[in-house]
Amino acid sequence: MGTFYTTLKYTAVTIWSMFVIAPFLWALSTSFKDFNSVTSGATYIPWVDFEPTLEGWRVLLRSPAQGGVNIVEPYLNSIFVTCLASFISILLGTLAAYALSRYTFKAGFIKNDDITFFFISQRIMPPVVLAIPFFIMLGKLGLLDTLLGLVMVYVVLLMPIAVWIMVDFFNKVPVEIDETALIDGCNPIQAFFKVVLPNSIPGMVVAGLFCMIFGWTDFFFAFILTFTEVQLLPVAIVSLNSSITPWWSLSAAALVSVAPLIVVAFIVERYLSKGNLSGALK
Amino acid sequence: MNFKHKYLFLLPGFLVLLGILIFPIGFTVRLSLSSWDSFFPGLDFIGLENYTRLFTDDPRFWEAFQRLSFMSVITVFLQYTIGFALAHMVWKEIKFQRFFRVLFLIPMMTTPVIMTVIWKTVFHESLGPVNFFFSLFGVTPLWLSSEALSKVTVIIVEVWQWTPFMFLLLLAGLLSLPKEPFLAASIDGAGPIRKFVYVTFPLMAPISIGAIIIRLIEASKIMDTVYVLTSGGPGTSSETSSFYIFIKGLREFQFGYSAALSLTYLIIMIISLTIIAKMLVKLMIRS
Amino acid sequence: MKKMIKISTLTVTASLLAVAAQADKWSDQFPHIKNTGDIAGECSYESMSKKDYSGQKLTINTHAVPVIGEPTALHAEQFSKLTGAEVNVIHTPAGDLYSKAMVPFQAGQAPYDIVFGFSNFIRDWKQYLQPVPAKYVNMRQMQDVTQSHIDVNSWDGEMIQFPIDGDRHYLKYRKDVIDNPEYQAKYKAETGNELRVPQTWKEYGEMATFFNGWDWDNDGELEYGSAEVMKKDDLMFAAFFSRSVAYAKNPRVPGGYFFDLESMEPLINGPGFVEALTDWVEATKYVPPGGINFGLGDEINSFGGGQTLFSFSWDDAFVAAMQDDSPIKNKVGAAPLPGSDRVWNRSSGAWENEFNQAPYIVWGWTAAVAKASKNQDVAFDYLCFFANDANHQADIAIGRFGVNPFKKSDFVPELYVERQGWDPEIAKQYAETLMEMEEGSTNRVFPLRVPGVFQFNSAIATGTSKALAGQLSPQEALDEVAAEWKKIVKRIGADTVREAYAIGVALEDNL
Repeated sequence: MGTFYTTLKYTAVTIWSMFVIAPFLWALSTSFKDFNSVTSGATYIPWVDFEPTLEGWRVLLRSPAQGGVNIVEPYLNSIFVTCLASFISILLGTLAAYALSRYTFKAGFIKNDDITFFFISQRIMPPVVLAIPFFIMLGKLGLLDTLLGLVMVYVVLLMPIAVWIMVDFFNKVPVEIDETALIDGCNPIQAFFKVVLPNSIPGMVVAGLFCMIFGWTDFFFAFILTFTEVQLLPVAIVSLNSSITPWWSLSAAALVSVAPLIVVAFIVERYLSKGNLSGALK
Repeated sequence: MNFKHKYLFLLPGFLVLLGILIFPIGFTVRLSLSSWDSFFPGLDFIGLENYTRLFTDDPRFWEAFQRLSFMSVITVFLQYTIGFALAHMVWKEIKFQRFFRVLFLIPMMTTPVIMTVIWKTVFHESLGPVNFFFSLFGVTPLWLSSEALSKVTVIIVEVWQWTPFMFLLLLAGLLSLPKEPFLAASIDGAGPIRKFVYVTFPLMAPISIGAIIIRLIEASKIMDTVYVLTSGGPGTSSETSSFYIFIKGLREFQFGYSAALSLTYLIIMIISLTIIAKMLVKLMIRS
Repeated sequence: MKKMIKISTLTVTASLLAVAAQADKWSDQFPHIKNTGDIAGECSYESMSKKDYSGQKLTINTHAVPVIGEPTALHAEQFSKLTGAEVNVIHTPAGDLYSKAMVPFQAGQAPYDIVFGFSNFIRDWKQYLQPVPAKYVNMRQMQDVTQSHIDVNSWDGEMIQFPIDGDRHYLKYRKDVIDNPEYQAKYKAETGNELRVPQTWKEYGEMATFFNGWDWDNDGELEYGSAEVMKKDDLMFAAFFSRSVAYAKNPRVPGGYFFDLESMEPLINGPGFVEALTDWVEATKYVPPGGINFGLGDEINSFGGGQTLFSFSWDDAFVAAMQDDSPIKNKVGAAPLPGSDRVWNRSSGAWENEFNQAPYIVWGWTAAVAKASKNQDVAFDYLCFFANDANHQADIAIGRFGVNPFKKSDFVPELYVERQGWDPEIAKQYAETLMEMEEGSTNRVFPLRVPGVFQFNSAIATGTSKALAGQLSPQEALDEVAAEWKKIVKRIGADTVREAYAIGVALEDNL
């Protein structure tokens, strides 16, 4: 029974790993192709199936006047906007989630669950209709085509996720921990920062990762709300998507844009394994 | 519990959200009562005409909704089961645990707008590797251009992209489970299957429900995948509500109508999700 | 026709000789125009260098790189060097060009001085655009533009968009098959018909079916009949209209092609259109696998990569095929769109058994200046510079730029032979085909350019794609489209639509 399950486990995990990696390998191979290698049928191995070229990669560092798009500045812009928006969202979201987990709210018939649901229901709305009002709003505030304008919009998009996830995680932290701290003489704010928060690191890390992912990969709002001063990475990459889809440069771009998040994934995994809650009570 | 503190925690986030959102949401409601168009931009007032139109004269929207429900339920179900299985498998001792855990996270970190183009090339019926593989068996499945298969392709891409989301949430949940119930179960002589059914699964119920709800919300907004892969085709067979709303809004610029569609969609989703959440609670939290 | 080509050749040669002295000075600084040097004119390099726009800024929204995107950025750089202006360029995918500019327009903002787009945006955008000042319209450079391109960029006699590119739908075919004596014999033997450039859509279908699914160019891959834009996106309807013009545009019946001008009843579900859609449903059998989901890019990849016998939409596929490193360079030919043996007469309600053919004057890329722009002089000068003779000649020689001929002086075969290495016969055929469509036809259809144009196009795309997918019969599909069109006309207002449509009809009827 044990070995059967173990073999099953390894087989399943290997199969899924292959499914996960396959598109990336294809993207890697395609990033070295040119028009002819792509249009004469599927090709795979460089030098064996087709003549590789660095064109797909070089295009990402050239200016449009030379047929490319320089992704360095958009890259940095994206990093800034994503990190700042995620930080603010986690900060405000965690505080709000703690309140919703520990305290009871009642305003008429609106209770805790309703407030939590209010937060997450902001994610339901299809973004399309919000294009014009957000455009008008940022226009009036003078925040169009600015990094801060984007951060503001992203906080609205990301905070609900932080709240939703942290409520669940706070619910798992036993109330006894809070009570112990309070008995020890802390006020609720101190109790939160000193005792509860350190025990919710796994939750915060997970929420943080999701915020960063949704911020980094957003295209729609970055597209509508920026022009020349600020360009985020997805918009910059998509500006290569002309009538003839450049399979090669888009593949290179996809690989390049996933890279920073992989680094974050490593960090997340480390915190996940470390912050195991089961021993927290003692 | 002090009266003041609870507001201190809740209000910053709540007020910031409300403050930024109040104009856009209010504008959208007002927009849905106007006939803002590509040719007549402006907030004229036409009352509930948009809503009448969408309830009596727009079968396409409702068909799209049906398709959406079908596809999102299947996708989320697959993502949940596969995600849970994977999380369970890399939870305890396994070789290369770190590698697998990080690897399984990567698909959701790709930018959908770009990744779907890559998927399009993968599934390209004439020039892609998938059909090259199938052609060795003499078949050429029409991944993007047949009515049935186009939905399957969209589901495959969605499962690839978002299973990591479930995987991560559930793994985090598993890692924070207390040890006591498991020890107790072992003492009672329970094997791995019984442990799972009676200890793991019920303990994971709250986070499972949270994960499913949020995935349902996100899955329903599915846009880039449909737009890039099939344009809602062939015909309208892979068109979803969000795709339809997008076309009406940013392509045809019927913003007034699109706003009405969005608000209706929002309300239907809120009602459905509340019902689904209650159902899940009954289903899962039931020792 | 021949006279026109002679005159044009003379003009070009004359210009080239006249400015030989200046050729060195500017082409040294700007290698882009090394083949011709600077050509004299109000917007030449020389003229622009005399202007001083330092301190002024231009913001341009253009298409993605490289098609039109790269020349925009390149000319922006050149313009900046010559005049001192600061020019910022943003690149947007084709499908989003309309919305990227429209959202700011409708929100009352003006972040862009120049917006690139397609000609059929014109009615929706007109209220936000600045008409081209007379001084540019009267320049020699502009007088050289063919009449149909001036028409397509104008509204009711006023030029609103600046001509910077030309485009048309024409038939492209593999010469190495159609002109091949062996295949001609084989085709004759098996079908009893001549293998030649298809004169009608029925012939097109027959030949495409015959050459579908086997390796007829011995490259080890299967080839197919035709690559067409069938994907339900923004451009599919253009392919449908190209196919339907021959059946539904009757030169003897004026007063509207898409609508009956007086009543604003949609004509889209008439027998002519249904016949074309029936052909198109047949076509799904002779396209490559996945062909029913081909966008323009896929069509270019397919025909340009040597996968099909025919193609018939924009210039790009032909240009891709004639690139230096293309395996099918100098193996492709250009011809007018197929016609049909009969055309529907909607007045008499019957088919007329006469050969009918008409070009569909599809739009190309256009650029326009925003009314709210604070730098209109600079903007118009930039556009004029973009399209000046030296730049234009250089641009059309670079395939990936996506700039195609639209000036009378472009249709000189020698240009393509010398600068791009085309086979002289192919160059001659290309120039003649295009020139004939531009200047010679008396029966033509202009694109639908009415308010809310995207709604109409979207309805067509949905309906026809349902027919292609087999979900509805051609008649049912087009009936659905007609019903939707009626609703749209009602919503926008029949008079408003009629007023706009009348302008297009006037261009079609007064030839």
